[in-house]
Amino acid sequence: MYFLPFKEMTFFKVRYLLISFILFFVAILVFVISGLANGLSMNNASSVINMSADTFYLQKSAEGRMDRSHLTIDLGRLTSKSDAQPLGVQMGTISKVNSEDKLDITFMAVKPESFLEPNVMEGKGLISSGENSVLLDHSLKSETIRIGTILKDARSGVKLKVAGFMDDQTFSHTPVALISLDTWKEISGGADKTEFNAIALNRANSSLKEEISSMDKNGEWVEKELVIEGIPGYTAEQNSLYMMLSFLIVIAVFVLAAFFYIMTIQKTAQFGILKAIGAKSSLLVKTTIFQVVLLTIVNIAAAVAFTKGFMMVLPDDIPFIFDMTQIAKFSGILFLVSILGSLLSVFNIVKADPIQAMGRLE
Amino acid sequence: MVFEPLILEHVEKSFKDGDKENHIVRNLSFRLKMGEVVAVIGPSGSGKSTFLSIAGALQSPDEGQVIVNGTNISSYSDIEKANIRLNHLGYIFQTSNLVPYLKVEEQLSLVLKMANQWTKESKRKIKEMLSAVGMEHRAKFYPHQLSGGEKQRVAIARAFINDPEIILADEPTASLDPNRSMAIIELISKIVKEQNKSAIIVTHDEQILPLCDRIFGMKDGQLVEVEKR
Repeated sequence: MYFLPFKEMTFFKVRYLLISFILFFVAILVFVISGLANGLSMNNASSVINMSADTFYLQKSAEGRMDRSHLTIDLGRLTSKSDAQPLGVQMGTISKVNSEDKLDITFMAVKPESFLEPNVMEGKGLISSGENSVLLDHSLKSETIRIGTILKDARSGVKLKVAGFMDDQTFSHTPVALISLDTWKEISGGADKTEFNAIALNRANSSLKEEISSMDKNGEWVEKELVIEGIPGYTAEQNSLYMMLSFLIVIAVFVLAAFFYIMTIQKTAQFGILKAIGAKSSLLVKTTIFQVVLLTIVNIAAAVAFTKGFMMVLPDDIPFIFDMTQIAKFSGILFLVSILGSLLSVFNIVKADPIQAMGRLE
Repeated sequence: MVFEPLILEHVEKSFKDGDKENHIVRNLSFRLKMGEVVAVIGPSGSGKSTFLSIAGALQSPDEGQVIVNGTNISSYSDIEKANIRLNHLGYIFQTSNLVPYLKVEEQLSLVLKMANQWTKESKRKIKEMLSAVGMEHRAKFYPHQLSGGEKQRVAIARAFINDPEIILADEPTASLDPNRSMAIIELISKIVKEQNKSAIIVTHDEQILPLCDRIFGMKDGQLVEVEKR
């Protein structure tokens, strides 16, 4: 009996094309906005998102914000532990020696070759002794800044030699300049008990946690997700985008439900005829839902393909991430919404009266 | 004795009209014989259509018995009634009520497929049926490409395709001009005689009455046989 919906769709081409377009565009809008939200999130906080740490020890009064947190623990006691590492975070400005062009960056200080040092895309890793070296986010790579270029910290005047470039390392939308703890000391004035922002833990380890907690009683453990949300601007940005997404989905619920509902109401007379010649309600419900399932799957699949293509043609400076698991999640939501919309009309199908078909209306 | 595919005994049916009960069908008894065409006439509101919808397993009676092909269906569920309609009854409506998105031949194959009667023979059967109503040259047409009379012929073919014992026609000529009306009733009558079926035609079109075997009038909720003039 499943040939009925096909026949109907090919006969009423315009009607079903319109419905398909609505489904298609709503799906595209949802996917593209979620891609942009992910892109912005990555563009904002990739350094922390990509960091292979899962818990951070921050100052209590910092309320989960890494840039506000200050800890003063003897570094020597920490750096020896491979699973717990101090992390320095400081917004700063750098420029080329003999140049007035300044670049906003975020200094991140880690122990060279510890788990906090990301993979280098180009060049070498940090050097632990000798001259001050720096690893830069690839976005800073340009005609004038390349491996071997000498940069200068605007505040302290400390000179830094570019050792290499890293993939996707940003903090609060600024590129990260990764330096060693020794350089960090020099930049921040070289106190004996250097201040830094956080202690990152590679993997949860309760005895290690307790040990660190006892070193500085003013701290608390914060999960990575919360630290990411604490990055300046991150929550506001993501909330606006997710607000748009949720409104979009609510609108989609009503538009799709209304469309499928009106569509079945229009067909009530037809259902009456089919029932009079012996079709059962269950058959009509089945074919109607089959039709909706078919329409939804085809259009969502087309929208996924379109989004993928859209990502390809999007210029590089618009951050966009095609996250298949999230797209699958949103597809699932849209799919459910369409089915629910068509279920609303099941009532009308069951109610469709064959006596009306006998009656005097076409 | 002639087989009687449809028997109604002491059937009652009433509807709520505002707060008063409207007794449309009262103690109605009726027997339909194989091979005959029966006309039911009466003013509008007299209960003709109610009678037809009870006889046609679209509604259940409040009281009394409806026996189709020897089976009492008066207390059947909606699904069971749908099966009775599918296998034992054929409908012809006032307007042809074809499914708009199916070609003429598909209108017929749909009925067979729903009744699980689709076999290798079915294509030939549909062809024969269409040529019996003179529509074989329109097999690939959609309903909107046909004239009113042609649609009604397709509707007749659709009503007969699943070999029902009983054909129920509700004002089948109301939307047709007099010449076409006569042709349509002649066609129904011809197929009924040829294939030994039976038909009930509810109508107020007096010119077709001479083509019917018996004529009933609806009076006070009962069917009363009228002398043929």
